[in-house]
Amino acid sequence: MSNYQTNKPGDDNNRTSDHRNREEFEETPTWAAVVTVLGYAILSALGWLRDFLRHIGLEEKRTAHDPNPKDFVPLYQSYECFYTRNLYTRIRDVFNQPIASVAGAKVHVMERVSDDYNWTFKFSGKKIPSINLGSYNYLGFAENQGPCSEQAIKSIETYAVTTCSTRHELGHQRYVKELESLMAEYLNVEDCIAFGMGFATNALNIPTLAGKGDLILSDKLNHVSLILGARLSGATIRTFNHNDMKDLEAHLRKAIISGQPRTCRPWKKILIIVEGVYSMEGSLCKLPEIIELKKKYKAYLYVDEAHSIGAIGSRGRGVVDYWKVDPNDIEIHMGTFTKSFGSAGGYIAGKKNIIDYIRVSSHSACYSSSMSAPIVQQIISALSIIMGRDGTNDGQKRIQQLACNVRYFRRQLVDMGFIVYGNNNSPVVPVMLFMPAKIAAVNREMLKRDCAVVTVGFPATLLTESRVRFCISAGHTKEMLDHALKAMDEVGHLVSLRYSKKNPHHRWVELDHADYDKEYTS
Amino acid sequence: MNVGIAQGERNPNSSWLNSRGVWLTYIILLFVLHFILLSIPYITTPVAWTLTTTIHNICSFYLFHLVKGAPWETSDQGRARRFTFWEQIDNGVQWTGTRKFLQILPIILFFIASFYTKYDRTHFVINLATMLLAVVPKFPIFFGVRLFDINRY
Repeated sequence: MSNYQTNKPGDDNNRTSDHRNREEFEETPTWAAVVTVLGYAILSALGWLRDFLRHIGLEEKRTAHDPNPKDFVPLYQSYECFYTRNLYTRIRDVFNQPIASVAGAKVHVMERVSDDYNWTFKFSGKKIPSINLGSYNYLGFAENQGPCSEQAIKSIETYAVTTCSTRHELGHQRYVKELESLMAEYLNVEDCIAFGMGFATNALNIPTLAGKGDLILSDKLNHVSLILGARLSGATIRTFNHNDMKDLEAHLRKAIISGQPRTCRPWKKILIIVEGVYSMEGSLCKLPEIIELKKKYKAYLYVDEAHSIGAIGSRGRGVVDYWKVDPNDIEIHMGTFTKSFGSAGGYIAGKKNIIDYIRVSSHSACYSSSMSAPIVQQIISALSIIMGRDGTNDGQKRIQQLACNVRYFRRQLVDMGFIVYGNNNSPVVPVMLFMPAKIAAVNREMLKRDCAVVTVGFPATLLTESRVRFCISAGHTKEMLDHALKAMDEVGHLVSLRYSKKNPHHRWVELDHADYDKEYTS
Repeated sequence: MNVGIAQGERNPNSSWLNSRGVWLTYIILLFVLHFILLSIPYITTPVAWTLTTTIHNICSFYLFHLVKGAPWETSDQGRARRFTFWEQIDNGVQWTGTRKFLQILPIILFFIASFYTKYDRTHFVINLATMLLAVVPKFPIFFGVRLFDINRY
């Protein structure tokens, strides 16, 4: 993401160039990139020095020792753990922090102290009640009270915890059938099938759909589950640049013209795999243009709506609803129940004959156990609330609250002068940090101000693009967001995070209620 | 598999040299080394340039051609374990931008050092030797070659 891209006015489809759908990826300032690489260079040089000191015995070796004697072949290469030993462990207290409550809009983070620079931790006993800006809880269903959890617990009394059996055998129960028909109605498609694990839905069903002699065109920033599924399928995989329709068209034309790699025979099918919302960038896929391309070149489309179902769109029905396209144009709709519905699992939806084929020949339906009753009941209750079936308009209120929160939070961050990636409407808000030390600094300082955030760096992201990723929820009230914005303002000033060259840098001033209502809740 | 990472890159070692700002930082670090050497009182300018070239070439030979594997747990199932860093760049594709940059840099340093040492014979021999040490292992015919089985495993 090193080019400043907006949707140019000459695009084919007017919808993607509308200013409300603006996506921005501001370019990294050169000085910030240089300082970041220098930072990693100094850390690596110090790492080499300390490894040398450990080797000659001046410093204590804290990692595991190889128990075999010296003339045996070594069990592992100690260079493989260089990064973990010298860079990751220095800031290890910032990752994988244990929590002591349900991960809803607020969470209790357990405080840890370390005497030996993060090699070992001890719980201090204190629990920090903080605002949860890291969990994927887009509609606020991650609660342990309320109608969803009550109905889920009651379903255990009716259906027991699990059947421990696959879908082909005893796992095919009444509640799973109810979930699948409800989900098919929600998405406005013919049929749907649900699986117990979101990652496995991708990894085990793409091999069912594609095989040897097929071509898979997948976006460069696709999730690991999609990549694993594509590799397991045995099809040829080509990647196109992220959200770049010209590159996708070039790949399609080249593939159709040259055929399969060695034999030049025509491809059996071409499958384009994209995601609705990309969780590290916060960008939305350009669905109308992809559908146009797919119809022109007669390819098939697989959309992974893990982060967008329930969170995007005026009725919460995902990117299909957001772009107002016909659901029948997309062959496979895939999504997960983990993010917006507060549960676990994944689904695949589409035309009845495709879903029937998946029911019979999916690896997951044959070998892995089916979903268990309380999980399914949680999704059914959440779906009923979102669709308005329970008689209240709580669902629509949540969707609107989320959209309002997202617009407010993003706008305030951009006005403060931070570099924020992604589409204006996506609930995933990455703010760039760039330097490795800031990953730890931002996380610790935000926790001191009672905000629990998730910061990521290399090698999970590109070398110079470490970021703090906020996930906004419908459960966040305006007061919580104001607290988080105030904290981010102070931390941004302390750590100097205001990199943006396009937006002027301001300190944050709280909007009074009348202005907020006028601008955001209309 | 590293779940939850942004891209499906199997070995980050293959692409981090293409990131924004890395080439500029490399040149800046080289100049920093040179200025440190210049500020030591008994070292004259020709000696400083020869020392810069020598230190750069020896360090680059060690880091690019002697150290094998990657400093992370990669998800390529150990394919990069026997390859040096030079062979891992861009997953083995030859003549990419980064490779050309890294091959040209020791040659440019050699020219600059020859100029500043006024083509003196001793300096020339030292600079030529270290330049060959840095440039020759980067040729495509030496891809995966381990002479006399040194550093094979």
